[in-house]
Amino acid sequence: MKSLHVEGDTFLHRLPAGLKLAGLAAVSLLLFLLHSPLLLAVAAVAGIGLYAMLGLGWRNSWQRLRVILLTIVVVSAFTLVINSPVDAAAVFFRLIALFLFAATITATTSTGDFIAVVTTAAKPLEKTGLITASDIGLAIGLVIRFLPEVLGRYQAIRDAHHARGLKPKPLTLAVPLIILTLRNADEIAAAIDARGIRSQK
Amino acid sequence: MSTRDLVLAALFAAIIVALGLVPPIMLGFIPVPITAQSLGVMLAGVILGAKRGGLAVLLVLVLVAIGLPVLSGGRGGLATFFLPTAGYLVGWFFAAVVTGYCSEHFVDRSQNGIVQIAGFFLAALLGGVVVDHLMGIAYLAFGTGTGLATAFLGDLAFVPGDVLKAMIAALAGRAVMVGYPLLPQRA
Repeated sequence: MKSLHVEGDTFLHRLPAGLKLAGLAAVSLLLFLLHSPLLLAVAAVAGIGLYAMLGLGWRNSWQRLRVILLTIVVVSAFTLVINSPVDAAAVFFRLIALFLFAATITATTSTGDFIAVVTTAAKPLEKTGLITASDIGLAIGLVIRFLPEVLGRYQAIRDAHHARGLKPKPLTLAVPLIILTLRNADEIAAAIDARGIRSQK
Repeated sequence: MSTRDLVLAALFAAIIVALGLVPPIMLGFIPVPITAQSLGVMLAGVILGAKRGGLAVLLVLVLVAIGLPVLSGGRGGLATFFLPTAGYLVGWFFAAVVTGYCSEHFVDRSQNGIVQIAGFFLAALLGGVVVDHLMGIAYLAFGTGTGLATAFLGDLAFVPGDVLKAMIAALAGRAVMVGYPLLPQRA
């Protein structure tokens, strides 16, 4: 799985991940309080400037952003038809600004740094007794480790359908995929416990 | 939470991610391709119950937040939580928990097949359609200032597809329960 992180050594890469996320939360709150299209347009331009600092180039940036840009255009068009042009402009600029700020943080923070922040943020959850912070890191690792196997299994089930001349249907694909995958849970859990990775009662 | 529960949730999170990466499945009688990811959310609740199903979906959301392109169409990153549709995304967690909670209470291993399927369908409908769509509409209407009526109108287009997914989730949930029962049983 290729992360959306971009290698680099800009000022933004060096900022601590927790600080960037706190900044994003503050900025998003501010942007939702603003309603003037002009101020929001300024914020959007700032977002473009920030994203440009990554130095990805037009082509690469477009490839990364196009799917989400399309959603923003659709929602703005919808607002234009139903509400007023001023509202539509405000929605459009606000979303562009938020989207570019968030995309910049995603691009400048490595997966490892994010997991560290998530683990720290999950510390208060330990008091509830549901899950420990280190479990979250372990679980994320497990998902990334087993994703290729799940995809391989899906492919195999699809091929099996074709080999028998059956049309793949959601139900006949999902059920064997789920049973085959979850059946491994006991073995994996035993392997984790055998290595003493989770220290628990 | 036992190691087995943690592993089950992680494996199911991998299944949900995988369902977003595979090409959309065309259904015979609806001309729109169906992305299977929200089906995966309902399945998580129906098959694993509230606690483990909720954790599975939470893991997917964490993966999205830390910048992995795990949503259908290769979307991911923090930006997805600021889109007008973010309510539906965050709603997934509550959808899985509600679906799981209802499944645990509606469905019993001693019931006959039809009753079990009906119970699962109702659970998936309450969680995956009612809860998720309400949260989606709420954020669309108040978070982005689209207005409640507009948001509701736009939402309606996605209801039939999701009702269909609830049906598939119910059938799959019952099939998995027969083949490999995992759902916690409540008296």
